[in-house]
Amino acid sequence: MSETKDNIKNLSHKLDAAARDTLAYAQKKSADRAKVSASCSIEKRLVVENKQFTLANTLETQKVGIGIHKDQKKGSASLNNYDANGLRQSVDDALALAQFSVPDEYLTMPDAKEAPKAKTLDFMWNDRTSTASLGDLQEFTQAMLARLTKDKRVALDRLEVSTSCMWHGLYNSLGVAQTETQTSLSWSFMGMAVDGDAVSGFDYDGRSVYAWDGALDIALKQCDEFAEKIVKNLHPVKAPTYKGPVLLTPRAVEEILLGTMLYHMSGASVMDGKSQWGDKINTQVVSNLIHLSDDPHSAKFSGATAFDGDGLPTSSRILINNGKLMTHLHDCYTAKRCKTKSTATSGGPFALMMAPGRDDLKTMMNARAEMLVVDRFSGNIDPIKGDFSGVAKSSRYFMNGADKGAVSETMIAGNLFESLSQVLAVSSVTEDVSGSMQMPWVLIDHVSVTGN
Amino acid sequence: MSMKQILQQLAHKQSGYVELRWHKRTSNSFLATKGRVDVANHSLTEGVGVRALVDGAWGFAATADVSEAAIKRAIDQARANASLLAKARGSHSIELRKGRLSTKDFTGEGFRELQSMSIADKLGKIIELEHQLAKSSSRMHTARARYTEYLEEKAIVTSDGASCSFQIAQPEVSLSAIVEKDGQRATSNKGAGVSGGWSCLFRHPTLDHMVDEIAKTSVDLLDAKYPEGGRKKVILAPAVVGLLCHEAIGHTVEADFVKAGSVAAGKIGQDVASSLVTMADSGQENISGYAVGNLPFDDEGIETENTVIIRDGKLVSYLHNRESAAEFGVNPTGNARAWLFSDEPLIRMRNTYIVPGTSKLSDMISSMDDGYLIEGAGSGQADSNGEFMFGCGYVWEIKNGKKTNLLREATLSGIAFDVLKTVDAVSSEFQWDLGTGHCGKGQPAKVDAGGPYIRCEINIGGRQS
Repeated sequence: MSETKDNIKNLSHKLDAAARDTLAYAQKKSADRAKVSASCSIEKRLVVENKQFTLANTLETQKVGIGIHKDQKKGSASLNNYDANGLRQSVDDALALAQFSVPDEYLTMPDAKEAPKAKTLDFMWNDRTSTASLGDLQEFTQAMLARLTKDKRVALDRLEVSTSCMWHGLYNSLGVAQTETQTSLSWSFMGMAVDGDAVSGFDYDGRSVYAWDGALDIALKQCDEFAEKIVKNLHPVKAPTYKGPVLLTPRAVEEILLGTMLYHMSGASVMDGKSQWGDKINTQVVSNLIHLSDDPHSAKFSGATAFDGDGLPTSSRILINNGKLMTHLHDCYTAKRCKTKSTATSGGPFALMMAPGRDDLKTMMNARAEMLVVDRFSGNIDPIKGDFSGVAKSSRYFMNGADKGAVSETMIAGNLFESLSQVLAVSSVTEDVSGSMQMPWVLIDHVSVTGN
Repeated sequence: MSMKQILQQLAHKQSGYVELRWHKRTSNSFLATKGRVDVANHSLTEGVGVRALVDGAWGFAATADVSEAAIKRAIDQARANASLLAKARGSHSIELRKGRLSTKDFTGEGFRELQSMSIADKLGKIIELEHQLAKSSSRMHTARARYTEYLEEKAIVTSDGASCSFQIAQPEVSLSAIVEKDGQRATSNKGAGVSGGWSCLFRHPTLDHMVDEIAKTSVDLLDAKYPEGGRKKVILAPAVVGLLCHEAIGHTVEADFVKAGSVAAGKIGQDVASSLVTMADSGQENISGYAVGNLPFDDEGIETENTVIIRDGKLVSYLHNRESAAEFGVNPTGNARAWLFSDEPLIRMRNTYIVPGTSKLSDMISSMDDGYLIEGAGSGQADSNGEFMFGCGYVWEIKNGKKTNLLREATLSGIAFDVLKTVDAVSSEFQWDLGTGHCGKGQPAKVDAGGPYIRCEINIGGRQS
């Protein structure tokens, strides 16, 4: 067994005992219900700034969060160690907060029957990742750095590579006890291209995976794509001004479309009457080309988890089926308020996938003689009304299917409900977005494009 | 023995440069909405972060265990990490500029007040504010009141002479409303944060009559139209000026971004704005006394100062830590900041602003034929090439020298230095107005920004027919 794995195991035993002691203390202090969320991690991290290694960092962290219900009022407290006196003080602090809070008859926690022991997702722990030394990380980082800066026009601002080994436990006074261990290898980089006086827009990318083996190939491919993209973003052209279709890359689909859809699916929005889809289960809410699912047990996504923030075992589920809303996303509290059952998505959804469509990407780019392809969005989205307005970043202008170059000072605006209900096409290919979800390219309509 | 004394003893035993930072943050946060209390949380985070410079390379380690033995282990780990990196860096060696190393012990105004005030009083006030806002209009759909306070305690000791400590309080409060009529909704919000206590927070001018103002603005917005898109002559209110200063200019003059090739690189001494514009970033603001980013010294132990970035339209300084100051051959400006003990210090802003001018807002409006007054800063982002995008909460139409119709939210964009070159009036009225929320740059940071009203030309995002 590796030293890190031993250390995490030892720490998790101590935190497990501390969590159970804390629950016992909370009950002794007459809490009606108590929940303890405990975690520890060991992280190694290397930082490169301006093409030079600038920092090597090792961290061991712990965190304990306590939630208390007393007389149907709640309070919470947290601290970053597992000192017994500190935890007891935190229980007292949470109880004090609860005392001055407002009664809420819907406060609830699941019991062990509702939240049986979740299955272990073995793929989340990788021994090779857990044994990686700072020296191994240095080699990994060096390879990425060389690839990112092969083209001298790439001005790399920052590159970070880290490994993390983590344990997480969730317990409550009604008998729920869930634990999970996880390794991750993560990288992120940001920068721009500079060619004489020309400076491209800033961009970034990154990913997180569980397993060491094969990760470098993924990282290097991403470095190549990033370098090529930002260099191509130099010397922007003027974008046209029009109202009509724009093509969203997978990253833009996540940035522009997904948030509003999740807002209206959220149990909290439904509970507070903010969702426009509150009474739309089994009803068409977006174009029938859209199919969205959540698979928390998929090894493909870094957000996988066997249990949610309430301790309920997670499961995969379809959220939107050919445009039809299949479910809202509830935790135990919002479910009780809405008189339904939790979907075990407290803290979720965890691993989203928008299904590929039938459309060829090249054909989609030819949908209009003048077409803006949006890769990033820097702007405001009002999820309630669906209005969005902002700058299209790292975006390109296509004319009759031919790439005319990157654009700058180009604003897009529209209404997402309008655009989502009339999606023109969904690509037959999907791409990974940050290692946490998979999205296709989507052609939406009725967008105002204001070029410079 | 105080934490500072423990750190001093340990630092003096080290050869080479070591920086020890003890940080204890106690925070309370409350969120009241729809008659519920959704968040009532108390949080404590404490630990020591260690940075060591060995053979020209940085190593970092941190420990939540603040015993002498654990801190010593963290020092050894940081030194080992630095040694490993030194081999990879080759001949490129990091050097530090000394600057004004602090030896002060400082307790900020309001720290004791906030520390001793009862939870019942604080939480009670937030519940009451939400209740007042909820009852303020028959159109109210959702009222929301949020409060967060940080009680920050730090001790910083470096092996080359800094030895200082502070206790400061940073409370903030914000209110927001969603109103509804015939299925149409509109939103409005307001908030403020300060370096100070409870009474200082609630003296903040932004919070005057905030319940009535939020309710009125959000209801009026229900029937408002959108502004017309295109390049427009506008007056930016202090909150929007603050966003412009922070996002569009401030980040591009952070020395680490400058080194990476930001649009401000190589422009020291050049005209980058109208001669009416003087812009600064200050750790010791003394204009109105309500800024949240006040710090006696930064996380490298350097005393903070008022750093003038643009003087009369000319770019005169970047924002530095000790390392970048050595590289650029200038003095550090006290901008090295870390969010938690477990974070390494990065170059961050503090209170960023345009210095007030001599015009009156009323004169600026009356001398405009056609344009907008932009109020209520939303979120904002800017790019290394100076291109920025801000949301704003609402817009007043100006026609023939008069403020006329209230219009709905808009998005503003432009190239920062180009916009600053179009400034033709700067008001004498001044306000800090971005004291809620955080700046994000890998780590969060509490910052503030603001300024006078300024008149300039800017792109407004609109709809094409």
